[in-house]
Amino acid sequence: QFTPSSFLRIGQLSNVDLNEDIRELETELPRQHPNEIPHNEKLLSLKYESLDYDNSENQLFLEEERRINHTAFRTVEIKRWVICAMIGILTGLVACFIDIVVENLAGLKYRVVKGNIDKFTEKGGLSFSLLLWATLNASVVMVGSVIVAFIEPVAAGSGIPQIKCYLNGVKIPHVVRLKTLVIKVCGVILSVVGGLAVGKEGPMIHSGAVIAAGISQGRSTSLKRDFKIFEYFRRDTEKRDFVSAGAAAGVSAAFGAPVGGVLFSLEEGASFWNQFLTWRIFFASMISTFTLNSVLSVYHGNAWDLSSPGLINFGRFDNEKMGYTIQEIPIFIFMGVVGGILGALFNALNYWLTMFRIRYIHRPCLQVVEAMLVAAVTATVGFVMIYCSRDCQPIQGSTVAYPLQLFCADGEYNSMATAFFNTPEKSVVNLFHDPPGSYNPMTLGMFTLMYFFLACWTYGLTVSAGVFIPSLLIGAAWGRLFGISLSYLTKGSIWADPGKYALMGAAAQLGGIVRMTLSLTVIMMEATGNVTYGFPIMLVLMTAKIVGDYFVEGLYDMHIQLQSVPFLHWEAPVTSHSLTAREVMSTPVTCLRRIERVGTVVDILSDTSSNHNGFPVVESNPDTTQVAGLRGLILRSQLIVLLKHKVFVERANLSLVQRRLKLKDFRDAYPRFPPIQSIHVSQDERECMIDLSEFMNPSPYTVPQEASLPRVFKLFRALGLRHLVVVDNRNEVVGMVTRKDLARYRLGKEGLEELSLAQT
Amino acid sequence: MAPVRCLLPLLPALALALGPAAGELRRPLALGEAEELWEELWDAEGLPGDLPELEPECRRLLAAFAEGSATLTGCLGRRARPVRLCQDCHRHYRRLLAQYGSIARAIGNSSESHNCAKSILTSDRLQIVVTLSEFFNETWETANCANCLKNSSEGLSNSTVEFLDLFNKSLTCFEHNLQGQAIDLSPNNYTEVCKNCNETYKMLNELYNNLQRMNRQGGESGHSAHLCIDVEDAMNITRKLWSRTFNCSVPCSDTVPVIAVSSFILFLPIVFYLSSFLHSKQKKRILILPKRIQSNASLVNIQEKYS
Repeated sequence: QFTPSSFLRIGQLSNVDLNEDIRELETELPRQHPNEIPHNEKLLSLKYESLDYDNSENQLFLEEERRINHTAFRTVEIKRWVICAMIGILTGLVACFIDIVVENLAGLKYRVVKGNIDKFTEKGGLSFSLLLWATLNASVVMVGSVIVAFIEPVAAGSGIPQIKCYLNGVKIPHVVRLKTLVIKVCGVILSVVGGLAVGKEGPMIHSGAVIAAGISQGRSTSLKRDFKIFEYFRRDTEKRDFVSAGAAAGVSAAFGAPVGGVLFSLEEGASFWNQFLTWRIFFASMISTFTLNSVLSVYHGNAWDLSSPGLINFGRFDNEKMGYTIQEIPIFIFMGVVGGILGALFNALNYWLTMFRIRYIHRPCLQVVEAMLVAAVTATVGFVMIYCSRDCQPIQGSTVAYPLQLFCADGEYNSMATAFFNTPEKSVVNLFHDPPGSYNPMTLGMFTLMYFFLACWTYGLTVSAGVFIPSLLIGAAWGRLFGISLSYLTKGSIWADPGKYALMGAAAQLGGIVRMTLSLTVIMMEATGNVTYGFPIMLVLMTAKIVGDYFVEGLYDMHIQLQSVPFLHWEAPVTSHSLTAREVMSTPVTCLRRIERVGTVVDILSDTSSNHNGFPVVESNPDTTQVAGLRGLILRSQLIVLLKHKVFVERANLSLVQRRLKLKDFRDAYPRFPPIQSIHVSQDERECMIDLSEFMNPSPYTVPQEASLPRVFKLFRALGLRHLVVVDNRNEVVGMVTRKDLARYRLGKEGLEELSLAQT
Repeated sequence: MAPVRCLLPLLPALALALGPAAGELRRPLALGEAEELWEELWDAEGLPGDLPELEPECRRLLAAFAEGSATLTGCLGRRARPVRLCQDCHRHYRRLLAQYGSIARAIGNSSESHNCAKSILTSDRLQIVVTLSEFFNETWETANCANCLKNSSEGLSNSTVEFLDLFNKSLTCFEHNLQGQAIDLSPNNYTEVCKNCNETYKMLNELYNNLQRMNRQGGESGHSAHLCIDVEDAMNITRKLWSRTFNCSVPCSDTVPVIAVSSFILFLPIVFYLSSFLHSKQKKRILILPKRIQSNASLVNIQEKYS
């Protein structure tokens, strides 16, 4: 049991890295001048702000809600459904676009390289083919990396951590902009075509989310077009619901898994949930996978077939050989353990790499160079593996898209080339479904090893690309290897079909890396189209998560932490009951009086050192004997709109004809409120007074000082608050709890840790 | 129910028809003999009495089908290795198709008297005729024979004929050159063949690849990208002979330049990371000190002030 002060010290002690800069802090040297420390995982960035998921229930809002009658509410409800349908359709179409473009461009690339290799195999000079392949990859990836690094860095990676943060209530700058969508889509296409060890499925989730956010607002600020529709939805609460629908639609388009999509949204962002929302999200998911399915069927020439529900199809797993027996379940669980360990290793390696990247490779041009190098090395490794492999398989009766003969006899192809010389999606499906004996164990082992490191190295580059498919591929490769060795051990028993073990290995590896549980089980189940696999997949994922969590946390959580995002988990840290709101809160608080001088407001807003977003409004009493009790809460954005429209008391008296400010004025400014610097306030106006009582939220949530941290946390997390005012027993403001105050407590290896705030 | 009832009185007649034969001989009939006898009876006049089981017309169709399937099976079996199914059996197959078609044609109008389709195809559990015909169709489909026949299925298509000609030519070439060589040919010394037949082999290969490409482009989505089995197998045999037995295709392996280039590329990232580690300025974060109640003392102060 710690006393508060000793706890605080311990918290800081545990923060100490092996670094001299913090030693200063430890010895309590002058704490005035800013400390500079290298980036580490125990920081919270000031860059990130919360979203206003709690409605500001001011007078304007109440008046508007009163005006809306029953039928109008019904129209709003119908509009919600229409928007969800549009989200589904557009997400499906974007997925189709990505799929078709990738297929054609990658096909072109592989044909060119194959032609070149075939030519040089006869004459000699294969080093030129290697150079050609590496150069092609590097140049395509260069374009993909340049657009991400220089135009929209938030489009890097899979986008799942970002969407997770958004649904958690953190405002990641630029994350749902149209520009991000365009860069994301182009970036994914280029990085897959560039032959990196990446997939196009993860980014679909981000794309779906952006589409949802865009459509639900009925306008695009990037294009400066306002369609004057869906104005009711222009606030964070409504937008968040649509974004979760968009994420679900993205998952559903990526894997052909509508239920998995809904559960993904539920698992990742579901502190705000109700059954109607679930049903709408499910609707969007279904529409999305159906759109993708029908468009791709038409594209593939069998219009009414509807055979490609997702970007990746695991193919059908329904013949007798693919069934499993009860005796195999322990084997699957063992595979889960292996997956958990390998996943933890992947995450740990990626952690060190990401830390290095944040610290040293932060300039965009360096990032582009790094991405190009990875692309070139990926091609080289693939080429060398193919070159060294002597595993030849007869070409007849196989479904290889680009058979590469190289040193095999005529009429045979190099088996290693099916794994490396192909888009990762195709390789996964090959590993699942190629008949036993298509790969020899040596090939699979080498492939697993190489691809593991390549994928680990690739994730976190400044290209937009997902980690789902590489994980599945690694897992499928070692799973298949496992299956082959099993059938050696059991002298070719009938049940040891390697495809089945490849599937379980893929599930284990993916589960070990991303640590999703419910949604991943359902996604895998839907992607295989086989409900009976649900049980073993669940067991495998469960084991992988338990084993993996013993070592390090999941890849997405790790990246969220490395980005210093103030992310709130489900619960407060378990040992935090000794803390009370008094220790958690920030104090003193900058308060505004109900009738405040404009000059004061402008000064407070312009103060760069305290970039606050919410201000408690207290009673403006001239005599000091009375305490200034809390009256309400007003947001920076509202103040800026007020200042912009010059809603001053004096002006209202001067010109009675002036239009009353409506809620619409606030909505029009959403979501990009102008900075305070752009608002001109003259010297005379500074002396005016501003009356906040109409615009402030008169009923903000408050807690007393004695409330424990878990209690504060629960209130904050469940309601999606942004500001929680701490008051004393006379309703006087003593402090303010925000997201960063809560997110800084974390359960570390040595108990409760406290993160420090940093400027990034 | 009705057919059974009308059959019942006929059964004694059936027994009578068999009875005398068995009685006269007075010795246990060998099984084969009994069968033959039964067949004779069946073939000659059918069931004694006017058994309405099978119309004579239908019986004729069935016999033809049996004949046809026997021939086709024989053909398929004989042409299994080396595969010549499509070239040699397509006539039989077509005939069988026609025979099956004439049996099945009457399936629509069941009111008609000679309703062969019903009585032959669907009146028992086994449905052997259907099974047989399905088997042949499936085999034909898998072999992809339609690919090397003309559209009207009359004979081989021109490209296939051309290919087979070239194939025969290269086989002749192989044979010729091997004979030309000394009797004591050592197993690894086929250079003569390689030199002389290279041209033919190249042409054959080229033609095969062309056929494949054409097939892939013009192919409907239903058909796989396979050529018909004859062509595929012929090419396969030739390729195996060429590169396995004769060891003619020796690719130039240039390991040294490949190793050089790949180690150069693999070396680049090391340089990159080292240089960025040494030269790039490490990114520093500026710590912000949060505004909090610092110590117990101030806490006490606040509490005192307000209580």
